[in-house]
Amino acid sequence: MTRIELETAGSVWKLLVAEGDVVVEGQTLFILEVMKMEVPYEAPHSGTVAAVSISEGDTVAEDDLAMEIRS
Amino acid sequence: MSWKPEVDEIKKRRELALAQGGPDAIAKQHGQHRLTIRERVDQLLDAGSFEELGPVAGTPVYNESGELVSYDPANFILGFGKVNGRRVIVGGEDFTMRGGSPSPAGLRKSVYAEDLAIQYKIPLIRLHEGSGGSVGGTGGKGPSLPGPVNAPSRFRSVAQAMATVPVATAAMGAVAGLPAGRLVASHFSVMSKSTAQIITAGPAVVERAMGEKKTKDELGGWKVHTKNGTVDNGADDEVACLEEIKRFLSYMPDNINQLAPLVESDDPVDRCEELLLEVVPRDRRIAFEMRKIINAVFDADSFFEMGRGYGRSQITGLARLNGQTVGVWGNDCKFLAGSMTRDGAHKARRFMELCEAFTLPIVTLVDEPGFMIGSQAEREATIRHGASAVLTAAMTTVPWAAVMVRRSFGVAQAAHYGPEAYVLAWPSAESGPLPVEGGVAVAFRREIESAADPDTKRRELEELLASKQSPFPRAEAMAVHDLIDPRETRPELCKWLARVQPLLPDLLGPSAFAIRP
Repeated sequence: MTRIELETAGSVWKLLVAEGDVVVEGQTLFILEVMKMEVPYEAPHSGTVAAVSISEGDTVAEDDLAMEIRS
Repeated sequence: MSWKPEVDEIKKRRELALAQGGPDAIAKQHGQHRLTIRERVDQLLDAGSFEELGPVAGTPVYNESGELVSYDPANFILGFGKVNGRRVIVGGEDFTMRGGSPSPAGLRKSVYAEDLAIQYKIPLIRLHEGSGGSVGGTGGKGPSLPGPVNAPSRFRSVAQAMATVPVATAAMGAVAGLPAGRLVASHFSVMSKSTAQIITAGPAVVERAMGEKKTKDELGGWKVHTKNGTVDNGADDEVACLEEIKRFLSYMPDNINQLAPLVESDDPVDRCEELLLEVVPRDRRIAFEMRKIINAVFDADSFFEMGRGYGRSQITGLARLNGQTVGVWGNDCKFLAGSMTRDGAHKARRFMELCEAFTLPIVTLVDEPGFMIGSQAEREATIRHGASAVLTAAMTTVPWAAVMVRRSFGVAQAAHYGPEAYVLAWPSAESGPLPVEGGVAVAFRREIESAADPDTKRRELEELLASKQSPFPRAEAMAVHDLIDPRETRPELCKWLARVQPLLPDLLGPSAFAIRP
C-alpha cells in the first residue's frame, strides 16, 4: 500500500479517480490548487485506488493523506 | 634499566582510553540504538585508516602510592582517516562520558579539529552528540579558571575552516550548545531522524526559563529542523547520515585551492531526452516536476539535493556534467509557485556561497515568478533576504549557465543569473518585470474598469502582453545566447562546461566574500 501524502497545503481542484479504480504509473490522480497554480499528483506505480480521503473543494494541509494505492 | 615500566603504562593508558565511558555507559548508548563515537568513526572511514591524535589525553586517577588506578579519557575523539581513499580530519564528542559535555582534554581536542583541517588543507567531518558547557565548568568541580582576555576567539578557526576546506557535519544524538553551533557551521549538515535532536537548550532549561513543557523531539527533532534550514538533510539513521556525508564529499575538492574531482562518466554528452519536449505544460497554470528535468539533464543519478525540506520553492544541490561537479539550482513551481521566500533566499545564498568558495560552476533552471508576496512574506522581510540572494549572485566570479525553463520575473529572477551567465531559453520561457496576471490588473486598471466587459478586456490584455513575454523576441534581440529545443539542454550545457573548465584554475583561492552558516 502506497500512501499519497500532500507536499503542500492548498485546495483540491479536481479529483480524477475514485476508490476501486485501476490506475497506471504516471496517471494523474488529482490536482491541487496552490497559489493559483494547478499541481497534478501522479500515481507512483500502477495499482488500484484503495482509499480516497479528499474531495473536490477541500482545503488541505501539508502531509495530509490524500489516497492510498494498492499495487 | 630500560623504559619498560613507562612503556607498560603507555599501553595501559591506551587500553583504558579505548574503554571510553565504561561498559555500562556503552551498553546504555547501544540500548538507545546509538553507536559510540568510535563505532561512528570506524563506520565512516576506510577500514584501518584511522590515525588518532591524542589517544591518551585525559585525566588520570592515582592511588595513595602514586599508581594509576583509573583513567578518564578525553571525551572528544580526533584524528586523520580516509574516506574513499581521500584523507580527511574526523572528530566527534564521546557521549558515553559526561554526556559529551566537554572535559578539559576533550575541549582541547575538540577545538583542535578546525586548526588541523586548515593546516593540512583537507575536509573536516564532525560527528556530533553532546552538550555544551556546564555551570560546573569543564573540570566538573566548580568553574575552571576563565580563559585569558587575549585568547584567540574560539570561533575564528571555525569560520576560517569554512573558508578553506569542505566541512560536513552530522547530528547523531542530542546536540546542544556549542556542539549545536558547530554542527551548523558547515557546508553540509545531516541529522539522524531516528536518534538525533538539535537544541539550543534542553527541556529542563526551557521549562525553567519559559514555562514551556516540551520533549527533546518536540523542541528539536527532525520534523522541526529538516524544515527550517537548521540542517540541510535528514537521513533515517546514523549509518545513512555517514553515507550522505561521503556522497557530499565525493563532489568536493579537498580545499579552496584545488579543483573538484573529475570522475569518469559513461553518460553520453549528447544524450537528448524526449520527455523534455513536453515536460512543461503549455497551460501556464499547470505545475510541472523540475526534478524530472534535473535528472534528465545532468549525469545519470548524479544529483545530490541539499536542503529539500526548507525553502522548498528553490531546489539546490550538486550534480555532475560529463563527470565534472556543478552546483544546480532550480525552482519548484509545485511549492508556492516556485517563488522566492525568505527561506528560499537564505538557502539560495548559502548554495551560491558554497559554489563560489569551492569554484564550482553554477547551472540554474529558471522558473522564478518573483519574490513571495502577501502579509506573511512582508512580515518575514522577504525583500531583505531576497536582495541578499540577488547581490550574492551579482558578486560571484564562478561561471554560470542559466536555462530559462518557464517564468523569469521581477527582481528575484536576477538571482538566477550570475555575471556573464551563458543564457539558454526554452520555447516555454516567459520573462518580464512581473507575471502578466498580476501586472495587467494593476497597470491597466482604468482601462479594464471602463470596458463594457472588464473580464474579457483583462483577458485580452493578458494574452497580448503574454505574447510579448515570449522568448522569440528575446532571442532576436540577442537577449539570450540561444533559443533551444529543450531536448538539446544536456548537449548544450556540456559544451558550455567544456568552454569554461579552462577558466576554473584562475578562480581558485579565497573568495572575495565569506561563506556564512
